Parts: sequence; structure tokens; C-alpha cells
Amino acid sequence: MGELRHLDIGTGGEVSVNWFINGIRKRIQTEKLDQYRVMYPSVLEGMSDYNCPTEALRDGKWDMDKCIFCRQCDLDPTGNQDTYSVEKAIPNIFKKSLYLYPVDSGTCGACNVEFTTLFSPQYDSSRFKIFMANTPRHADALVVMGVHTEGMERVLQEAYDAMPEPKVVIGLGACALSGGIIGRGAMEKYDIHIAGCPPTPAAILKAIIEARDKK
Amino acid sequence: MKYYEFGDKTGRYVGRTEKYDVYTSTLTEADKEENDNEEKTQGEIYFNYGPSAGGLRESVNFQILTPGESIRDVIINSGFKNRNISIIGDSISDAMLKVERINGFHSASHSIAYALAVEDALNIENDDLNDARIVEIELERIRSNIDVIKGLCESAGFAVPEKQLLLLREEVARIISGAFAHRYYFSVNRINSIEGDFSRISLRTVEKQFRSIYEGLLSSKIFLDRIQENGIVLNPISTGPAARAGNFRYDARLDSKSLIYGKFNTVLEKDGDTFSRFLVRAEEIFESINIIESYGVKRIFRKNKMELSGSGDGTARIESPAGDLFYYVKIKEGKLADIQMSPPSYLNIRNFRSALRNKNIFTDFFFVWESFGIWISELEVKFQ
Repeated sequence: MGELRHLDIGTGGEVSVNWFINGIRKRIQTEKLDQYRVMYPSVLEGMSDYNCPTEALRDGKWDMDKCIFCRQCDLDPTGNQDTYSVEKAIPNIFKKSLYLYPVDSGTCGACNVEFTTLFSPQYDSSRFKIFMANTPRHADALVVMGVHTEGMERVLQEAYDAMPEPKVVIGLGACALSGGIIGRGAMEKYDIHIAGCPPTPAAILKAIIEARDKK
Repeated sequence: MKYYEFGDKTGRYVGRTEKYDVYTSTLTEADKEENDNEEKTQGEIYFNYGPSAGGLRESVNFQILTPGESIRDVIINSGFKNRNISIIGDSISDAMLKVERINGFHSASHSIAYALAVEDALNIENDDLNDARIVEIELERIRSNIDVIKGLCESAGFAVPEKQLLLLREEVARIISGAFAHRYYFSVNRINSIEGDFSRISLRTVEKQFRSIYEGLLSSKIFLDRIQENGIVLNPISTGPAARAGNFRYDARLDSKSLIYGKFNTVLEKDGDTFSRFLVRAEEIFESINIIESYGVKRIFRKNKMELSGSGDGTARIESPAGDLFYYVKIKEGKLADIQMSPPSYLNIRNFRSALRNKNIFTDFFFVWESFGIWISELEVKFQ
């Protein structure tokens, strides 16, 4: 027994918790995607002549894929979470279900945590028919996170090759897209670019939904 | 270097950087690590798991030596996602952008430890930031401990508490972003400065919600059965909650002078199993809330753009959510000439392995893994 304990084992022992009822009692906690906003990362606006270490600012133009939202330049955050761009629409076949398989090529862990937050009650990705696959063989979209690393290069390629056609590749976060401040991007080309360091769960879901709706 | 010197081993072992073995107040040349893999015998196989597989948040490979059901040994290949970070020669402030991305989930701990080491090297007075930095780290500890317990629920197939803890983890992320404009403290901590509004930190709802989930878990015999008496490790060479779960009163909040804590209660358990680590993590959530409230930091801190120059070497050791986190920096005319870091995951991953060897079966694997709260990201970093 420790010297400090706020609750003793068996505290609720007399009234055993029925997790099913407990879950229902808490009611639905799911939110609209724009309900919560954060300033960084969000779409930046304004002008700045800051010498950006990731080259996210060049000739006055802001490149969100390279931006790590470090607050060093004079661009202002808008709170708008649309920090993504869609290169290629998600095939129609995935309209009713899209299975994502994440691969960590070389992350700091923040993108990994934001990815798992998609499955939290607030975001509940399953209401958008977006699910997680446990193997690339069952996946429709590969979600690549982190910078290029030698050790993960072959693993990433094998995961891509193992996926059935048609397949979608999503770059999640500045590291995967451009290398950010740490290295170089994990892959050359992505169908969906989700910028941010790390991108917010709302941005990830909005990007996928837009890519699915795109004709 | 106010708090460390190069010399003989003194005090407890804290971890290892690329060059040094780190003790509580000394640094020594790193010893060679010996290979102590178990011999594979007839009828045994290596079960290969990872580096990329469902159930693994980060890329890591395990080769589990097994005759069928029990785990005799596990060889951990954590180097797949090894990141080479080009940081030597960077200005002190540019280097911070990279340091806070060593472990994004424990970014406050890393950025504050680095800032403290630089301030030590350049003799920068930082007493006025002590309390605010403690509040940041304790808030990070709350989120991290919630995440570890969420992992245990996930391993047990307890979907309801798992989702409730996921909801709570997100609530804490929002408290952090409300105060610091970023969910992972990126670009919040600088040398001798912080950017954030501490008046926006309120944890009353979090405490209430967590207490209710914790009560439920403590009353669940199925859950407790799954985590009791597995993954036992009682090793004096350990750190953080894993050490305290084995009744070792190891805590950088008690024996490091980098950050000065006031009075707080140390949570200790005796058995060193997954259950004890769960209890320590859970109880420390309440204690962290007490610590944050006891400081009553409510002011707004603004970025201080001070010019940094000078030379020197400095160290810092703090208690990150998973244990001792140590930084050493050598600065020459405002640029980083050397940086050495010892993360808690260094000792935790070794203790995870010894916790699994010979005492557990396959189904224990995930409980034991989740209970250590290991981050490969901070383990597999090479500074260049």
C-alpha cells in the first residue's frame, strides 16, 4: 500500500459499474468539426519577410505544407482549421467506408496522438464512415506520418504495395509532407496533403471528407 | 554546470546519453552494454511483431521468443524510425524548434529541460519562471497518465472507459491549447521565457471525470485480474512511475535542483506489477492537480525576445511524465557545440523487457507495454 492514495481498491466494489449503462448515461459527446478551434496550427494570413528555416515563406508566399507554425514570423493565425489540400479525389468506391492504415515513418509522436484522437467521442470518425485498419491488406488509404528515415523506407513501401487497388495516400503533418524542421518528407507524392505540426483532428477529418466529396 | 560534474558514479543511475552515463549529480563515460539475449532452445520460435502493425502507435519491432504461450524473452528493435537531427551548430533558439519535436507528447518536458540547461550554461537567472514551468509539466503529466491508463483499457477490450479516457485526454489537450494556443506546447517555451495565459487552466471537471472512471476501473474485477501480478519489475535501476510502482522513491522532483518543487506527496506502491504502475499513474493525476492548484499561477506570460550569446556548458534534469529526463548542452558563442539527452524511455524499455522475460504469457504483452508509457521517438534520436 502506498503512502498516498486518493481512492482505495474496491472503492466502488459494493456497486459494481456496468460500463454499458455508464457509457449510455454520459450521453453523446460527439461534436461538429468546427466546434473547437485552436490558433496553431490554423490558416495564416498577412505578410512577413522572416527568413523561415523551413522555407515555408518564399517571396512573400506562404507554403502551408512546409510550415511548422513556430510563431517566429509576422503572419497571423486565423483559427481556420482548413490546413489541407486535395490533389486527387478519393475514388467513389470508398463513399460508404474508408479504412485508414497509419504508418509512422519518423514522428515525434504528436501526429500519432492526433491520429488516434479521430476515434475519440468528440470526433468519432465512424460517423463519417472512416475507420482504422489493422493491416495494409485491409486498408483503402495509407496515412503517412513523420520524416523520411532509412529504417522505415522499405516498411513504408511494403505497406503501400500490400494495399489493394485502388488506394489513396495521405500525407499527415509537416514532417511527412516536407520534412518540416527535422529532415525530408517521407514520400514524394500524396493524394491528400494535411499540413500542420501536428494537424488537428478536425483538419484531418475535413480533408478526407472533402477528398471524398470531390468529383 | 551548477548541478553536475564529470567524475565518479554518485547517487542513483538516471540513464544514458550518446556519450555519458548519467547519475543524479555526475556524468561518466558510458559503459559498453552487454548482449544478454536468451538462447533459443528446441521447440521455440521468434514471433515477429512490428515495426508497423495494428496496435502499435509507433514503429518498433519485437521478436518474442516463445515455446508457444509463455514469453521467454523479447528482443526490441527500436531503431527503425531513428531520426538524425542536424542540430549541432544551430543557434540556441533555432535548436529549440527541434528539441520540442524530440517527443511531441512530452514536448513541455523536453523544451523546459533544454531551456534550463541553456540557462545553466549561460548563467541566466530564471527563478521567476520556476512555478509556471512546473505547472506546464504537471499538466503534461496529467495528459500522459490519462493516455497510459487509456492504453490499459484498450488492451483489456474495455471500450467504454477507453473512450471516456480518450475524451478526457482531448479535454486536457484543449485546456493546454486554450492556455498556450497549441495542443503540444510547441513554440511556448523559450530560453528564459514562456508564452501563455495560465489563468485559463482549470482542472475541476477533469478531476471529477477522472475520479469517476478510476472508481469504475477499481471496482472491475475483470480489469484488475488482467493487470495484477503480470509484468513485475523490482529493479533499483529504474525511473519514474515504474520505479515508484516498485517502492523506489525515485523522482527528479525530489532530488534535482533544476526545478524547485514545494511540498507534494510521493505516490509509492510495492508490487512492481502492471497494476502498481496503473495505481501510481492514476494517483499522480490527482497529485499533479494538487500541485498545479497549490502554485496558483494565473498570470499571462509573454514571449521575451532576448539576444542570446556567450559560451559555457550546462545541465538540467526534470521529472517528465515517464521519469528522469536529462539534458546537457555545450554552447560556444551562442551556438550549440554539443547536446546530450537521456530520456526516461531508455531505462523504461529495458525494464519493460525484464518485466516480460520468463514470467508472462502472450496476452500480457500489451498490458505490460502500455503500462510503461514508452516513447520510441525520444529513444531513437541521433544529434548531428
